[in-house]
Amino acid sequence: MNWLSDNVNRLALLGAAAILIIVIGVVAKYFKQIKEGKSEGVLKEENWDGIGEYKNNSPIGWSLAFIGTIVWGVWYWLVGYPLNAYSQIGEYNKEVKAYQAKFESKWANPSKEDLLGMGEGVFLVQCSPCHGIDGTGIEGKAQDLTHRLLKKEVLDVIHRGSAALGNPNGQLGYPLGMMPPGLLSGADAEAVASYVAGGFKGSGKGADLFQNTCASCHGPDGRGMNGMAPNLREYDDTIVQHVLEHGKHGIIGRMPSFKGRLTPVQEKAVAVYIRSLSEGE
Amino acid sequence: MFSWLEKNPFFFAVGVFVVIAFAGLIEIVPDFAQQSRPVVGAKPYSLLELAGRQVYIKESCNACHSQLIRPFKSETDRYGMYSLNGEYAYDRPFLWGSKRTGPDLHRVGNYRTSDWHANHMWEPTSVVPGSIMPAYKHIFKNVADLETAYAEALTVKKVFNVPYDKDMNGDGKIDVPLGSFKQAKQRALQYALKVAQETKRKDLVDMVKQGKVPEIVALIAYLNRLK
Ligand code: HEC
Ligand code: HEC
Ligand code: HEC
Repeated sequence: MNWLSDNVNRLALLGAAAILIIVIGVVAKYFKQIKEGKSEGVLKEENWDGIGEYKNNSPIGWSLAFIGTIVWGVWYWLVGYPLNAYSQIGEYNKEVKAYQAKFESKWANPSKEDLLGMGEGVFLVQCSPCHGIDGTGIEGKAQDLTHRLLKKEVLDVIHRGSAALGNPNGQLGYPLGMMPPGLLSGADAEAVASYVAGGFKGSGKGADLFQNTCASCHGPDGRGMNGMAPNLREYDDTIVQHVLEHGKHGIIGRMPSFKGRLTPVQEKAVAVYIRSLSEGE
Repeated sequence: MFSWLEKNPFFFAVGVFVVIAFAGLIEIVPDFAQQSRPVVGAKPYSLLELAGRQVYIKESCNACHSQLIRPFKSETDRYGMYSLNGEYAYDRPFLWGSKRTGPDLHRVGNYRTSDWHANHMWEPTSVVPGSIMPAYKHIFKNVADLETAYAEALTVKKVFNVPYDKDMNGDGKIDVPLGSFKQAKQRALQYALKVAQETKRKDLVDMVKQGKVPEIVALIAYLNRLK
């Protein structure tokens, strides 16, 4: 491509030529003045050890700008600033409000793909430093989100009850409140823990014990009876919401509360994303 | 017009003083405003946290990290509530920082935990694969300087009336006790033991049990305190 066929290039070239010509002209003028110019004008009365000074009127443009600035300064001090006081926080509040309104209208009915994308974004920024960018919990440093529960977690909760989640009186804020400690022990606890951690597969001792001891709160299918107690089979919206609001301090470690930091849509989105991590299972 | 000033050095000096004093006034007076007072609930740093703060300064964490969340939506989304003047009332010097090679840390205590910090400081890439933050393995061995931290706390208590050993919220309890060096050290060791246990590293717990506080433990106590 011939670079001169581009308008922007042609304009730039023209501009460069103009600047060059003006510079040469101005430099020539002052050279001439230095060579031939004579000082002229009226001397001031004062002189300092014989060194005098000419009276020069200030240029009109400069004078106008000077006086204009003073007038503006007085106006700004007395009227401009006090009467329309600018507030950074005010602007922030406006920005947030406008954003929220836009966010809400844009994502009033998000599709599953929208949620998945949004959830991935939130997860990578807020959650991945602990849960890992693949969600596997970085070798046991945090919950492995590609899998619902580990056997050692379930066992710990059976033994210690809600204390194993961070607060003996109930940590996660479910309607059923707290989970009592020591519902089962020994081999029975082991059997149920294997059954729950194994994804509720098969039948036998574990399955029977679960129906007898745990189903009354967690539901016969382990899905938590529509949010009465935690869903033990998958990360439903409710458990993600509750953990984000209340945090959790279990056998793996401590998850801080994210209360008020994500919008409800974002919480839902991150739950959808977390569920997508275990889809292959 | 003003040439008489040039002949009267005394009045010239007075004039200069007035102009500069006015500019000074504009900068100084707002610092006495209500919004620059400590925010409700702001507390001075405990001995261990102060020692951690000194590690933070010594290792120049502020060269890469700011501690000032500006009131922009993008920042409050990521870090939490924007920072207020009064939150820095007990920061001497404040550590606002001016460059964010890494993220802001002013509220890092809200969303990171002791064990996470220990893993991250030992080997940043073990938790954040692309991290360019240097590893700080040496501060797992170095012993924190509680004496200097105590001297600092005592100085600001005496000179600036920082409310150590005082009941600040009127509930009849002393909010941030300092006391003698022995008492303060005892308290710092207890606090350090708790933090060391949270990091799940036996070497740190052992060191604290021997009466030595590793710098990393003091630093984590300080980071956890940033909320
Ligand atoms: C009295 C009702 C009740 C019974 C019976 C019960 N649970 Fe729970 N469970 C709860 C509640 C409520 C929670 C949430 C506790 C909290 O918020 O602290 C919970 C939490 C849990 C958790 C933690 C979930 C998580 O997300 O980490 C596990 C695991 C669990 N229960 C397993 C069991 C097993 C196994 C049994 C049977 C041995 C059982 N529960 C029996 C009410 C119950
Ligand atoms: C400071 C590290 C940290 C951060 C950041 C973090 N988590 Fe966690 N999270 C944990 C730890 C540790 C656990 C395991 C707690 C336990 O059971 O011992 C956990 C557990 C969980 C669980 C399982 C809860 C249950 O009851 O089984 C979910 C879901 C979860 N996190 C979601 C998230 C989401 C979503 C985010 C981001 C918004 C996030 N986490 C950010 C550390 C973190
Ligand atoms: C060379 C610049 C650099 C220095 C010096 C540095 N950091 Fe960082 N830091 C980073 C970068 C880049 C990240 C983001 C990647 C990561 O999380 O590792 C980071 C992340 C962090 C985080 C995690 C914050 C978050 O929101 O996830 C903490 C905490 C932290 N640094 C603390 C420190 C401390 C304490 C020091 C001093 C001992 C320090 N850093 C020194 C560059 C630096």
